[in-house]
Amino acid sequence: MFGYIPLGMAFGVLFQTLGYHWLFAPLAGLVIYAGSAQFMAVGLLGAGVSYAEAFVATLVLNSRHIFYGLSVLGHYPARGLSRWYLIFGLTDETYSLITAKPLGSLDRTPYLLYLTGLNQSYWVSGCALGASLQSFFAFDSRGFEFALVALFLVLLIEQIHTMRERWLLAVALVASTLTYALIPGQFLLVAISLCLAVLIVRLRSGGVNG
Amino acid sequence: MDNHYLLGIFAVMGVATFITRVLPFVALTKAHDHPLLGRIGKLLSPMIMVVLVCFGLTSLEIESVTRVGLSVLCLTIVIILHYFLRNPLLSILTGTGVYVIGVQVFGL
Repeated sequence: MFGYIPLGMAFGVLFQTLGYHWLFAPLAGLVIYAGSAQFMAVGLLGAGVSYAEAFVATLVLNSRHIFYGLSVLGHYPARGLSRWYLIFGLTDETYSLITAKPLGSLDRTPYLLYLTGLNQSYWVSGCALGASLQSFFAFDSRGFEFALVALFLVLLIEQIHTMRERWLLAVALVASTLTYALIPGQFLLVAISLCLAVLIVRLRSGGVNG
Repeated sequence: MDNHYLLGIFAVMGVATFITRVLPFVALTKAHDHPLLGRIGKLLSPMIMVVLVCFGLTSLEIESVTRVGLSVLCLTIVIILHYFLRNPLLSILTGTGVYVIGVQVFGL
């Protein structure tokens, strides 16, 4: 959970290379609140993409959240403001903390709210700290962009541990390489669509027992 | 710096992120009855991560042979650390730290 402060700081530092006021970095943590999407936002803003492109790229990048929701569905309150905030705050980190312990059947809403709120406050503080430090001291931030790669790699390794059909990873690697060589401008969208297509074909032909 | 553009992008990305989180709660309340979707989700997530790692690598501006070497070294560090110790923060900070030192101190 404390990982959110240094990661938020890395985002803040990277964000500051764009030249906006540093207060916009914690604002991103408040309204977007998605680590990988915010890191991607730095790249998107730098490239000056359209709103539509940013929308699609974010949907694709965050589509994994759909499956987080599926597995905590029964444990979230059925209505009220707390339900909506908990859904808004269902990040990778919060999801892994929530599912690390069996949730039981009693009302866990206060505990879930506490966990989700604390996570977001750490994240927003980290964003503010990194961006303000970079804004006042302007230190050399070359190389910080590797944090994005490392973050995704760590998430990947976490998922490989529980994955049975590992050959699908090779499919994803080939799909990425092909897309980068042929259509680099629509990298995320095309590469992930290719993965989904192969997966559906294999599932329908009964070739996968995941 | 165009603040309106920035705020527009934030708003669009915030809405898109919320949609991905709220979707199962409003549309798929009977998801446990839908085994195919569950399997797609379970298998697609790690595939998306592979694509995202590649996406991250394309944004690194790898232009020299030494930078390729540095990137491979740092990827290996993250993989080994995380495979054995499973501490996300340690893996990310060590890998990024070595990369930053390589770029800034050794000019790789």
